[in-house]
Amino acid sequence: MNLAVEMSQISKRYGDVQALDSVSLRVEKGTIHALVGENGAGKTTLMKALYGAMSADSGSVSINGEPVTLKTSREAIAKGIGMVSQHYGIIGELTNLENLILGAENGSILTPVQNQQRAQDLAERMGFQFDWNAESSTLSPAGGQKLEILKLLWRNSQIMILDEPTAMLSPQDSDALYASLKQLAQQGTTIIVVTHRLPEVFEHCKRVTVVRGGRHIADHEVTEVSANQLAEEIVGGSVIERPTPVSNSQPTDSLEVRDLEVKGDKGQIAVKSISFALKKGQLVGIAGVDGNGQRELFHAIIGHAKPLSGILTVEGSDWTQTSIADRIIAGLRVIPEDRHHEGVIEDWSLFENASLGLQRLPEFSDISAGQQELGPTMAEKFSTKHGGLNQPMSSLSGGNQQRFVAGRALQVAPNLILAFQPARGLDLNSTTKVYQEIRRRCDEGATAIIVSFDLDELLDFCDRILVMNHGEMFEPKPEEARDRAAIGRLMVGAG
Amino acid sequence: MKVLGLIAGGIILFIASLLVAGANPVTAVSQLITGSVGSASAVSGTIREMTPLLILGVSVFLALKAGLFNIGAEGQFVIGSCFSAATMLAIGGPLGVVVGVLIGAIAGGLWALPAGYVKAFRNGHEVITTIMLNNIAINLTKWLASGPFKGEKAVSASTATLPIQSQLTPLIKVGQFELPQAVVVGILLTLGVGYWLSKTTSGYELRAVGANPTAAEFAGVKTKQVTVKAMFLSGAIAGIAGALQIAQFEHRFYDGSSIGYGFDALGVALLAGGNAFGLFASSFIFGALNKGGTSLMGLGIDKGITTMVLAIVIIIFAAVKYRQKGGQHD
Repeated sequence: MNLAVEMSQISKRYGDVQALDSVSLRVEKGTIHALVGENGAGKTTLMKALYGAMSADSGSVSINGEPVTLKTSREAIAKGIGMVSQHYGIIGELTNLENLILGAENGSILTPVQNQQRAQDLAERMGFQFDWNAESSTLSPAGGQKLEILKLLWRNSQIMILDEPTAMLSPQDSDALYASLKQLAQQGTTIIVVTHRLPEVFEHCKRVTVVRGGRHIADHEVTEVSANQLAEEIVGGSVIERPTPVSNSQPTDSLEVRDLEVKGDKGQIAVKSISFALKKGQLVGIAGVDGNGQRELFHAIIGHAKPLSGILTVEGSDWTQTSIADRIIAGLRVIPEDRHHEGVIEDWSLFENASLGLQRLPEFSDISAGQQELGPTMAEKFSTKHGGLNQPMSSLSGGNQQRFVAGRALQVAPNLILAFQPARGLDLNSTTKVYQEIRRRCDEGATAIIVSFDLDELLDFCDRILVMNHGEMFEPKPEEARDRAAIGRLMVGAG
Repeated sequence: MKVLGLIAGGIILFIASLLVAGANPVTAVSQLITGSVGSASAVSGTIREMTPLLILGVSVFLALKAGLFNIGAEGQFVIGSCFSAATMLAIGGPLGVVVGVLIGAIAGGLWALPAGYVKAFRNGHEVITTIMLNNIAINLTKWLASGPFKGEKAVSASTATLPIQSQLTPLIKVGQFELPQAVVVGILLTLGVGYWLSKTTSGYELRAVGANPTAAEFAGVKTKQVTVKAMFLSGAIAGIAGALQIAQFEHRFYDGSSIGYGFDALGVALLAGGNAFGLFASSFIFGALNKGGTSLMGLGIDKGITTMVLAIVIIIFAAVKYRQKGGQHD
């Protein structure tokens, strides 16, 4: 086998976390190779080691049989390695041509005429069409992804790393993208695709490597492995027998979502005509790999994102057009994903933060009095460690900020609790306490929706689990509702 | 500590620049102090200078709390002055003053409104729009004062002088000392705005928008409306400053009647730090330097020297105080 990339025994530790533990990867020249795994499995870290964006603690890398040390991305680029990250770097204000050559200009004076000629040649070779002088902000998600690939060709990349290249693409665009990639592979380019979508692996890739928890799990020829086996290797077997959490759900409807469509930040349809209904008292987990529309769904239920179409009702009243403020008054409580930007005001004291989001509720009709009265309870609920409630929020560690934000969300009469990774930054004990409190509120009649990328956490605490994959919502069959492997298959599109 | 260091630094800087200018620092500083607070009439002069700076300081301060840098206070002040003068002249008497101040507030508020809308709904930067609105305001009022609003006997671009019944008298007058009514209004406005921002729900929401717009939005604050409202209120307060300037001190509107109070007010608001009550101190310092600076002229030192020193102090202050907000993270 003619190997373009050979990484052996790569290890990397971040603090207490062993991100990579002797992982090896062998990629044959001129093929499309899939690297699959869950969030946090180590895929991106491994690719960063190859791209020189991260230096490994140990291990070795050979490119085309020649041992190399890649300390910086510049060195990697010089060796013909290129990477397109998931959050790609097209600058909307620049033209397509300017974006193409950015960072790889061939001198201090720009030569647009020659550049455009070469750009056009590259695009024609790939069957792409670009208006070189148009602003890149006009590109579709698929166009942006194609431009990224051309950027690698511009830099003469022989080895391309694509991180979740189809995350924002429609099925048609995905197929077109893979058709171009196959053409490149036939011309001798080696392509590594980081993905969690098994259908893509089976349809377009030659070999596949599975990583899980920072370890190398398996290598397969795609033709020699089944989707079920691959899904199981990705999510792993369940070690602990866990009891199903007991739900006191009531027959009354709580949140109902019908045919909801929501746009993502790159203009793609991130939530594709989703429908589901929840009962009062349910604690529902939404499982899935990051970037499958959970964020956009979450924002639509909060009222932060305006749906393209569809209906949201809560206990029969229509929420589709209501403001965030009205939803809060009706009992919406949020533990947001990005507490730094969405959940707290760091310059403010804990007292002042105590009323943030609740300021229009009767409990805070006298805002200072409300802060003085409820602030201490919110902090105590999950034992937030602080140096006084009059200290700024920025003086707290991330985990303690999270404790405070969770305490605040669950303090005043919640009716619909929305939590995005509520256990982020928390130890096991605090995580349990937060979920117990959510459960207690559900038993009182609230409904909770938890988005998490940690399936085990959801299985531990939620009485019902839904799965999002590529903007669509799936629910495991009743007999497989607690089946980790079955849910895992839905997460990777092998269900 | 930082503030003390800043004051010490400012004084050293001032003395150094006096030396460069070839003046005796001791004489100059004592002249500056005598000229600003050395006598009853000097104090009155300082208060007169302080009055528009205090009210305009509140205007800029309020906008700043909503995350808006209202460079347009100058234009809103001029518009407020011009329209309130015309109103006071048209109605006359004490009633004219009341209606005039009201009209001044509305005119100033409306003048700021486009900047608020552009910021809220198109994300156009308020610094750009308010600077442009300043240019328009200054030339529009110049035209109004030389045309439609021109006084019959006026030779230059100016309205007529207010009748004596429409001129605000000092609230207290003891010998050479005068306490103008306008500064009392300014003090009440400062207290009112300070209270509103710190104790009410709508003030809390406005501060949330200024401190972290995304978190404010997630907290159910209607950030766009708040931005528009903050800009309107800021403009209205600047308009009140303009109206009171006419009723209390100038008694007529003329082209060039503002000597850039609106721009000095940016410094006043910045120097107040995050605290509304800080406006009292900062507007007093600015007023004293304005007044005292004039008396330096007798020593052959240009008044601009105080402006220059103050500007440097503010730049350093801004770099120290606002570095976390404006500075780059990570």
